[in-house]
Amino acid sequence: MKIFGNKKTTAQVLDTEPSKNSNSMATKQVRYEALVKALHGDLYRYGYWLTHDKQVAEDLVQETFLRAWRALDSLKDEKAAKSWLITILRRENARRFERKRFDMSEYEEASIIDTQSTSTEQEIENRWLRDKIAQLPPEYSEPLVLQVLGGYSGEDIASMLNLNKNTVMTRLFRARNQLKDALEKEPEKVRIIHER
Amino acid sequence: MKDSTMSENAMPASKMDDLEFRRNIYAAPSRQDKDIIAAQKADPAKKKLAQELCQFDEKLKQAMKVPVPDDLCHKLLLRQTLASHQQEKRKTRFHLALAASVAIVAGLVVNYLQFSSSYTNLGDYALAHVYHEANYFSNNDNTRISLTSLNKKMTTFNGNFNEPMGELISADYCRFDGMKSLHLVFQGLTDTVTVFIVPKAEHLAFADKFSDDKLQGESLSFEHANVLVVADKNESLSQWQNVINDNITWSI
Repeated sequence: MKIFGNKKTTAQVLDTEPSKNSNSMATKQVRYEALVKALHGDLYRYGYWLTHDKQVAEDLVQETFLRAWRALDSLKDEKAAKSWLITILRRENARRFERKRFDMSEYEEASIIDTQSTSTEQEIENRWLRDKIAQLPPEYSEPLVLQVLGGYSGEDIASMLNLNKNTVMTRLFRARNQLKDALEKEPEKVRIIHER
Repeated sequence: MKDSTMSENAMPASKMDDLEFRRNIYAAPSRQDKDIIAAQKADPAKKKLAQELCQFDEKLKQAMKVPVPDDLCHKLLLRQTLASHQQEKRKTRFHLALAASVAIVAGLVVNYLQFSSSYTNLGDYALAHVYHEANYFSNNDNTRISLTSLNKKMTTFNGNFNEPMGELISADYCRFDGMKSLHLVFQGLTDTVTVFIVPKAEHLAFADKFSDDKLQGESLSFEHANVLVVADKNESLSQWQNVINDNITWSI
């Protein structure tokens, strides 16, 4: 009788263990799916502006989320998820450079221009701006993308990029300044952009 | 730098100069600091610049929003599912390997226990074997095995019987302590007489004569095989041995 009792307790322990386990597994899955759905667009765009290449950006995002899945337990604050993911993506991108030496200035303009055939004025303008953003030095374009697209403050960007806040603000100023200059050098575009 | 410090000192914070305002608004158009708002209120030109920059930022934002591939979200979810599935599979593979190892070890142990000889000589095993199968045969069985079919089986041992040696009830291969041997059952005087043709083996010692309280047995050693006769005490074993000895021929 006693043996039977003992057996039952072991059975109970065995029974609760996997369900606990699968529960946390399910929670993790739900968290992950929510992260993917909410942030994959931002991540992709960020990757795109970092690499100027759609395919590479997609690969980076995939690699980033795969790493995120493995390390998901270390993400305690959901609000920090986006900057956490961006940090992973930047690290992945740096790793890509370690793998093969790739000269940043070698990017081809053709890869920036997107190939949508319908060209409304808005799209022409967007394309022109994209081209100009892509021509910014990466140290200027990266904080600009984080600020405009990511909505991060100067302080946030400074900590994400491991830079001094003043440096970040200067770069942001220069980035916009250069873009404005470029606009003014092309009267045609100035007309399109300013008359709208 | 000198200029800006000077201007900061010369003027209250609410009245920042054009350059500083420009720097600030260019660096962060949507920032709503007190001094920025104050400067905008004081100077319509600054307000216009701020608005212009905010509009420009909106355009930048639109431009930066490159189209995201439609299937990216699904790809990400799928890849994760596959990745964790792989992980699971690796886990189950490990468990499977563990189970397989246990099964192999168990198999080896069973094999060792079952087929390792617990008998040290031919006679003991032969007696045990006969007792084990005693219920399957009886002296009154009507089935008879022909000499031809017996000799067909004997080819395994390169042996041949020239003439029938009595009423053969059964002739079948059997495991004689793990060795493939031929098990013959003849009709005897009171009970069946069992003849084994067993390959020579090192692990069982040859026993010339053996017996217990019911059965007796004798072995004949030939070049390739031993021939054992086991019967009850009423049977003349030497007679059987003579018949076999005269009848059997071995080919090379």
